[in-house]
Amino acid sequence: MLATDYLIASLRWQDLVDIILNSYILFRLYVLFRGTQVIRVVIGVGFLWILQGISRQLGLIVTSWVLQGIIALAALIIIIVFRNEIRRVIQAKNLKVLLWGWPQHGDLTPAGVIVESVYELARRRIGALIVLPSQDDLTDLVQGGVTWGGRLTKQMLISIFWPGNPVHDGAALVRNGYIERVGAILPLSNREDLPQRYGTRHRAALGLSESSDALVIVVSEERGDVTVAKDGRLHEIPDNLALNRHIRYHCQPVAGLDSSGRRQSIRLAAAALVCLLFVTGIWFRFARGLETLTTVEVPIEYMNRDQKVEILDTSVNRAVLHLTGSRALIKSLEAGQVKVLLDLSKAVVGTNTFSITADNVVLPPGIRLTRIEPAKVKVTVDRIVTKSLPIQVDWVGRLPNNLVLKKVSLHPEKAVVVGPSRVLASLSTVYTEKINLANINSSGRLSAGLVIAPATVKLAADSSSKVTIEYWLTERGG
Amino acid sequence: MLRIHPIMAWLLFPLTMALVAVPALAGTEKSPHLARAVMCESLADYVPHRVAVVFPIEVGRIFCYTEFDSVPAKTFVYHKWFRRDQLVTTKRLVLKPPRWSSYSSIQLREADKGPWRVEITDRKGAVVKVLRFSVTD
Repeated sequence: MLATDYLIASLRWQDLVDIILNSYILFRLYVLFRGTQVIRVVIGVGFLWILQGISRQLGLIVTSWVLQGIIALAALIIIIVFRNEIRRVIQAKNLKVLLWGWPQHGDLTPAGVIVESVYELARRRIGALIVLPSQDDLTDLVQGGVTWGGRLTKQMLISIFWPGNPVHDGAALVRNGYIERVGAILPLSNREDLPQRYGTRHRAALGLSESSDALVIVVSEERGDVTVAKDGRLHEIPDNLALNRHIRYHCQPVAGLDSSGRRQSIRLAAAALVCLLFVTGIWFRFARGLETLTTVEVPIEYMNRDQKVEILDTSVNRAVLHLTGSRALIKSLEAGQVKVLLDLSKAVVGTNTFSITADNVVLPPGIRLTRIEPAKVKVTVDRIVTKSLPIQVDWVGRLPNNLVLKKVSLHPEKAVVVGPSRVLASLSTVYTEKINLANINSSGRLSAGLVIAPATVKLAADSSSKVTIEYWLTERGG
Repeated sequence: MLRIHPIMAWLLFPLTMALVAVPALAGTEKSPHLARAVMCESLADYVPHRVAVVFPIEVGRIFCYTEFDSVPAKTFVYHKWFRRDQLVTTKRLVLKPPRWSSYSSIQLREADKGPWRVEITDRKGAVVKVLRFSVTD
């Protein structure tokens, strides 16, 4: 219970967006591919993935490996085998259909015309094979034939299958009220358990229904029976009403909310819920499933310092944080997300000892702090004061042997510096930059910069950073 | 009315005078006057030679010469030698009336290169004069 509470409490807004976005993507894929073989195969792969997870949890190493390989292969196969379906979805006419529209998969084929034609053919004992495609692309399944393109009428269908017509032995493809192709060759089913009464037409109808979502109507030449093949099964049709029902069910729009009614709405809502639960499960498995530990070293940031004081020294500048959280969150940690902030508002002049607690540590949601090193930090602060110090020239090098530097005059003689009082207390002189005597062979004047050290000390704003040095040389006596 | 016995008056008189005299003496105490203070390479008969503000290390020894032309009473001064603000040595020099010259010196080593100063302070530590110089190659 505590773990669940922790998980919910540690959810970031990014996590919710992550789950909702991916759930919607999954739901859209379902909407776009529903009714096709793709969705069935994907569901199958999903089950394999769950099985693989279970086998891994149970320690079935080889099984897990094999399932993992099958899943990888299946993903590849899906792309190859269902390339036409995928292409059809990707090549949607507008973005709306792809992102939030409801694709209309319905067929405008008039069922009555087909029913009447089929039973007329049956009455006359004329064999017929009529294919009503659905969403699956049949390009690779249906071979040969002649492109027809004629409007569907009873007379047209009867004449196509009339004995003696060169294309009467093949199948006729009917879509949206038009006969697209005639004399087409369908893939034959390899099933061995078909009854003897079924001939080649039945085997062809079954073959196509096994490989696609098409509805295939067969009229037996010998008995005048009507049979329908759908989803790899053959259905004997007792009367014209039953055939009409089959055709209407096959041709109705499958995804339109407006026309599908309450049942469709419930089905889509259920699908959306399943997508949400599925993605949530995956998210928790990947994002929060595996706890891991890490150690990060972050700089300590000092806040709310009085502007009149300066930090002179700290016992440590960085703190080591021992963190725990999900592997995904730990891996996504960035430098600016973890901070150690120390409040100096209560610091007094001198050395202050502060405890570093969890309150001082800023962490992204989902990451927990287990330990801090060090637990305490000493911060020495001092008041900023101004001090006037005499300037002295820092000579280096060597004068020519016959010369002596007898006198030096500086302008200005003093520099005003600003810095922590304890630092300035130990300073009594400001030195110039090093001036090489080797470059000097007569009395003269030069300008030099001042060297202000340590770094906490600075020249006052109104104090010159340069000094003019006037010097006098004399001949060295004997 | 307060009346003091004559014997008591004779006993109290020296004490009263002493109490009055001490602050008076303190107020009039004169410090020795520093007439000259220089850094030099050598001294001969209390006369500084080769006065300079830069000394090559090869000189070996340098001197801080101080000359006081008015020394009211026997006293002493300090010569405090600093190298880059770090006190290296303190020399205590006795001064005797009426005039007195005195000096201190240090032996130079290779590590002594850099800016120096000698603070001349009186017996109470008040800085009378600061001499600044450098020891170079």
